[in-house]
Amino acid sequence: MRDEQPRMIPCSLVSVVDDDESVRESLPDLLREFGFIARSFSSAEEFLASECVGQTNCLILDVGMPGMSGPELQRELKLRGQHIPIVFITAHRDESVRPQVLAQGAVACLFKPFSDTALLEALNTALQAN
Amino acid sequence: MGVRQEDTSGEIKHLKRCLNDLVSVLALPAMWSGSQPSQIVHTLLDALLDMLCLDLVYARLQDPAGGAPIEVLKIAPSANWMLPDEVHKTLNQWFGDDPRKWPARLRASIIDQDISIVSQRCGLHGEIGIIVAGSDRADFPGQAETLLMSVAANEAVIGLHEARLLLEQKRVAGELDRRVAQRTTELAAVNDELRKEIAERHRAEEALLENELNSRLILHSIPGLVCTMSPAGEVDRFNPQILEYFGKTPEELKGWAIGNAVHPDDLRRVVAAFTHSITTGTPYDIEHRCRRADGVYRWFQVRALPVRDTADRITGWYVLLTDIDDRKRAEDAIRASERNLNQIVNAIPALAWSARPDGSAEFFNQHYLDYLGLSADEAKNWGWTAAVHPDDRNALIAAWQRMLTADQAGDCEGRLRRSDGEYRWFLFRTNPLRDESGKTFKWYGTNTDIDDRKRAEEQLRRSQAFIAESQRLARLGGFSWRVESGQITWSDQLYRIFEFEPGGLVTLERIGSRVHPEDIPLLGDMIERAQRAAGDLEYEHRLLMPNQSVKYLHLVAHRTQVQDGRLEYIGAVQDVTERRLAEEALTQARSDLAHVTRVTSLGVLTASIAHEVNQPLSGIITNASTCLRMLAADPPNVEGARETAKRTIRDGNRAAELITRLRALFRKKESRTEPVDLNEAAQEVIALSLSELQRNRVILRPEFADDLPVVTGDRVQLQQVILNLLKNATDAMSAVNDRPRQLQIRTERGTDDQVRFTVQDAGVGLDPQAMDRLFQAFYTTKNDGMGIGLSVSRSIIERHHGRLWAEANDGPGATFSFSIPPRQGGESDAG
Repeated sequence: MRDEQPRMIPCSLVSVVDDDESVRESLPDLLREFGFIARSFSSAEEFLASECVGQTNCLILDVGMPGMSGPELQRELKLRGQHIPIVFITAHRDESVRPQVLAQGAVACLFKPFSDTALLEALNTALQAN
Repeated sequence: MGVRQEDTSGEIKHLKRCLNDLVSVLALPAMWSGSQPSQIVHTLLDALLDMLCLDLVYARLQDPAGGAPIEVLKIAPSANWMLPDEVHKTLNQWFGDDPRKWPARLRASIIDQDISIVSQRCGLHGEIGIIVAGSDRADFPGQAETLLMSVAANEAVIGLHEARLLLEQKRVAGELDRRVAQRTTELAAVNDELRKEIAERHRAEEALLENELNSRLILHSIPGLVCTMSPAGEVDRFNPQILEYFGKTPEELKGWAIGNAVHPDDLRRVVAAFTHSITTGTPYDIEHRCRRADGVYRWFQVRALPVRDTADRITGWYVLLTDIDDRKRAEDAIRASERNLNQIVNAIPALAWSARPDGSAEFFNQHYLDYLGLSADEAKNWGWTAAVHPDDRNALIAAWQRMLTADQAGDCEGRLRRSDGEYRWFLFRTNPLRDESGKTFKWYGTNTDIDDRKRAEEQLRRSQAFIAESQRLARLGGFSWRVESGQITWSDQLYRIFEFEPGGLVTLERIGSRVHPEDIPLLGDMIERAQRAAGDLEYEHRLLMPNQSVKYLHLVAHRTQVQDGRLEYIGAVQDVTERRLAEEALTQARSDLAHVTRVTSLGVLTASIAHEVNQPLSGIITNASTCLRMLAADPPNVEGARETAKRTIRDGNRAAELITRLRALFRKKESRTEPVDLNEAAQEVIALSLSELQRNRVILRPEFADDLPVVTGDRVQLQQVILNLLKNATDAMSAVNDRPRQLQIRTERGTDDQVRFTVQDAGVGLDPQAMDRLFQAFYTTKNDGMGIGLSVSRSIIERHHGRLWAEANDGPGATFSFSIPPRQGGESDAG
């Protein structure tokens, strides 16, 4: 992991929570290319247990995970008063999920595979909202 | 008183007077002749009183008749101063009781008057009595006076003696007269007696004569056979009837032995009795049969009485033979009749009894008593009612009383306890027996055991109620249908199902009026099949009721032959509307569910596949984006780009492996290969689908070739194809309501020697433009179809080296067929 300054919105911490290893491998690299500080977690529980909860500026969250799911983490954070902008990502093309999570306050919901621009756009929206 | 001695002339005079007196006294007895003694005494004393100029004279003399002494006192009228009682008393003082001791002379004074008393004893020793004379003359008595006294006393004795003799004479004469009279009376009486006896004898003789005449008359006119026998038992006299009956002459009869006239069966008994009577002299009385002249045996009562003389010796026998044949026969008949009646009464399979007009029982047949286990005494009057079931007793007795009151025959039912304690149902039937005036004098009755019937009735009633209730609950009606005569019988429930008036005439026309117009063809089909006697029937069809509601009926009927050989269907019709509606709802729900499930499972599959593929794709794209960005950086991050490019390749390989795994997952399993009879396979499928077909009101017309060759293949797969074709055909007709939904299934050996299976429907038919897409996957004309069936079916058939095709019909509908080669001995490479 290299310390690279984010170019567009510097020094923002973006946390990635996804049980899929390939996502955890690839996405932080791309985020760093975007200029963010990126951290990745394999489960919602791991994220909640980390010190990053309070520091994360944006959360990229997988919908379907073993254990606590993405929407459940979303609810948990809201209950804890942690209003972190969330960009959901999912491999299931389930149209019913998107309106559900958006209604709960998510910034965006991206279906895998998504393009880098779509991601960046969502992150920008999230950080601006922040 | 004068002085007589002074004068001689006086003396003479006195003497003369004395003599006169004496003569007078002597004459006295002549006067006395026939006089009574007392008269004699009175006459004597009067004569003395007068002759001797006495003041008193007294006599006490024995009565010559033996009576009390005769005592007489006479007082001269000149001395009337002397009272007789005083004189008697004085005399008794003077002389005492015994006159023989009295003194001959005495001077005494009577009532202060001196008087001379002279007593003269009578009889030799004075035993006759005494005469006393008294005078106040002092010289009394002179000599003459004493003489006179003495003579007078003698005369008195003589007179009394004569009087006594006379009395005696009289007495003897009276006695004689009396005796004569008595004897005469006796003789007269004897005479009377004799006369009577003679008259009596005369009458007796007359009677005897009459009797004799009568006896002969009786003997000859008596309606019986009469004879007499000697003491030894030989016939001596007889009446003509006996000769006539036995057909014998008098001579024959006299030398006759009884043996040939008595019935052989009676002979021994007769001989024994006869011998016994003759030997002992006891009367003979026996009934036996006697042979008449014509050889006919008739029953007789034969009685014989011995006749005895005064010495008690038997002098003969009187024998009377009375023809009792008619009576005997009548008796026999009565006995037989009674026996018969008794047998009947005891043999009739009922409890028979009789009762008095008041209802009390008087007779029970043996069956009855045996049943009750009671004696006749225990059962009589009202005793039998103890055996009536307590629940029935009052009603039964009340019914009996009603019959008695109404005086009419009747019947009622009740339970009677058998001797073993079990109650059984009986029908009590009664009948009054009336006399000429119509008055009931007896009741007869029978109690018939109806227990089995009653139980059967109860059972029947219960099972009928049960059936009716079951039918009602199950909405199930029964029917029978004689096809030839068109006679249809319905159960009540069936009337209710059809909403017809119960009991009304049922015809096919009436049924047709209720059948849903769209199902009329089904009805026609059913009638046609029944007329062909095609076997049992099973249909589902609808009724359209007058209120436009629809009922669904399920009919099953079994074909039977009734006795006369005619055809009859016995069946049941169930109103399955609710079930049907429920089923339809369920089917719809299932269908919906199936659809949802299919969609869901496809979605899940799709999502799963997508997820599995998208994960690596996502990695690939992200890495590729990163890679590009790294290369586009200034300076380019080549190391990072290489790293991400490697990861891209790795994720690409991952995706490829995933596809391989999916293909393996969907790969078809091994199929089995075996000889398959398509007829059999098709029939199995039809059997499975029948209800579905009927529910869709499809009229199935199978035509299976008899000589169809066997094919080789996967039976289940081929059946899936058949099922699929049936399903498609049914679905194709689901909207058809203007014509029968006829479905023809045919198997045949095709011209190309292939085994061909054809399904021809009358459905919506085929769009010619769609023909070439028909067998492509995911092509469907159905809103719930997957579009997979036909393509899968074709691939199955092709694997069996056959082909599957579709043709449009000339009329409505389409025909789908497949043909596959027959099994070639041992060849099996399908699959």
